[in-house]
Amino acid sequence: MNWRRNVSVCLLFICVSAFVASKDGLFNIPLNWPKPNYNFSKNPLTKDKIDLGRALFYDPILSQNNTISCSSCHSQFTSFAHVDHALSHGIYDRIGTRNAPVLINLAWNKTFMWDGAINHLDMQALAPISHPDEMGESIEHVIYKLNQSKIYHHLFFKAFGDSIASGEHLLKAISQFMLTLVSANSKYDSIKQKKSVLTLKENNGYQLFKKNCSSCHTEPLFTNQKFENNGLPVDLELKDFGRMKVTQNPIDSLKFKVPTLRNIEFSYPYMHDGRFKNLNAVLDHYVRGIVKSKTLALQLEQPIVLSANEKVDLISFLLTLSDKKFLFNPEFGYPKNLLISLPKD
Amino acid sequence: MKKRLAFFPIVLSFYSNQLLAQNFRILSLNFKPMFGNSVLQLNDSVYKLNKNDSIQFETLKFYVSAIEFWNNSAPVWIEPNSFHLMDASDSNTLKLAFKVPSDMIYAEIKFKLGIDSLTNVSGAIGGDLDPTKGMYWTWQSGYVNFKLEGKSNLCRSRKHEFQFHLGGYTHPYNALQTISLLTSNLQDVSIKFDLKTFLSDVDLENKPSVMSPNKDALILSNQLGKLFKIKE
Repeated sequence: MNWRRNVSVCLLFICVSAFVASKDGLFNIPLNWPKPNYNFSKNPLTKDKIDLGRALFYDPILSQNNTISCSSCHSQFTSFAHVDHALSHGIYDRIGTRNAPVLINLAWNKTFMWDGAINHLDMQALAPISHPDEMGESIEHVIYKLNQSKIYHHLFFKAFGDSIASGEHLLKAISQFMLTLVSANSKYDSIKQKKSVLTLKENNGYQLFKKNCSSCHTEPLFTNQKFENNGLPVDLELKDFGRMKVTQNPIDSLKFKVPTLRNIEFSYPYMHDGRFKNLNAVLDHYVRGIVKSKTLALQLEQPIVLSANEKVDLISFLLTLSDKKFLFNPEFGYPKNLLISLPKD
Repeated sequence: MKKRLAFFPIVLSFYSNQLLAQNFRILSLNFKPMFGNSVLQLNDSVYKLNKNDSIQFETLKFYVSAIEFWNNSAPVWIEPNSFHLMDASDSNTLKLAFKVPSDMIYAEIKFKLGIDSLTNVSGAIGGDLDPTKGMYWTWQSGYVNFKLEGKSNLCRSRKHEFQFHLGGYTHPYNALQTISLLTSNLQDVSIKFDLKTFLSDVDLENKPSVMSPNKDALILSNQLGKLFKIKE
């Protein structure tokens, strides 16, 4: 009898937690989007956990010398990329090897990083925290520092009912904040909801996009999440072969994750090493810069042909993917009000 | 008040009957890292593979998971949520105790050395699997199944150090080891594994570090998996 009750309690719990993702409107799946990849039942969103994650995201306590926070290289107004930095700088101005990607719609991501080295959103933060050129810190010492802080005693208790920080709770909280970073309010989205229309130029650009770009930058997320070699010549200084480092398989040489194009207007410079400063340079690459090699994406074997006018039109379509409501949403910014209300350390 | 107290013996006898109805016994597994015939000690103890070398150990940590007791080719007891971090610097972690039905008879112990692939892709987990335990890779997701660090004059590396961080959960470098040991329904089981044998097969001179999921990690993990033995 007992086990039956246990099983039914478990089933009830599973059913309830399946809906928790959208409870209180903390996370909503935009219209006609696929189901998210993140398993919310293992980390159901709550306001207090999101608040804790947001406080951690903006806090340089995560770095060795308390100077670099997640937001140092992921600023909201650039869709959480690093504006104007081809490669980001971490503690002591050390320079990394890759361009900081945008942090949007991460609930749909299957892998993380340009080479997919990280398999789960929860584990993502460990990489920048411990990388010597980024935060140069250890997760063990971050937890030690957080446990010295009255503010975090309070925030961890509110979030998890336990004032002592742990690696699991820290990572889950940061995930929760990042999961809320959903960008789906661009002009493109309002057109899909029939609330707006494309201009002639934008529409021409959209047709060009569908013909030349969308097999990799698939709607509505504007990425197919695959790893592809898009024909960039190897940077002889960085010698970055991308995905191959993770799989150790030569068929993955020079493949990098196809990035989303949402908010592309603000996330310059472009490519895994930030080599292109603007969208014109990106299109020039696709039209006349492709380097042929064994692992080149099949879609790029035939040259892409775009006239000067077509490039302008294509870019005007790409600008319809900008979501200014997201970029200036105060819920995603520095948690000033939250921190003011707390006891000081 | 009196009334309530009157019920007390009845309630008590009810629960004691329940306890008697289900008899348990405690079964213990004790993992013993060895070097040859002696139990391995970290730090100050100096060991030798051959006459002219010296080896000292600083770290020995590994995961034991999915512990099962079998009889007649079928499981008779499976530990739920079975993940244990063994740390030679804390001997308490090397001893596991299980409450099993007293009439349970088993002839085989099965466990895994390391963490399975599903757990590896399940995000942040607490307890022994918390990433603060020093057994999670940060630059590429995945648990370290087995960590052995120390120094030896055989190593040509900086400070003569060796570091083996063995793991990997994806094909073709899935390093997880399934270990099955036949035994005879023992109450207290000692499971030994000899790191002298392990290091004898390692090229300490030229390959004193294996720290990513790769072919070397796979080979060393396979060798390790064969070393676990029950000494009766």
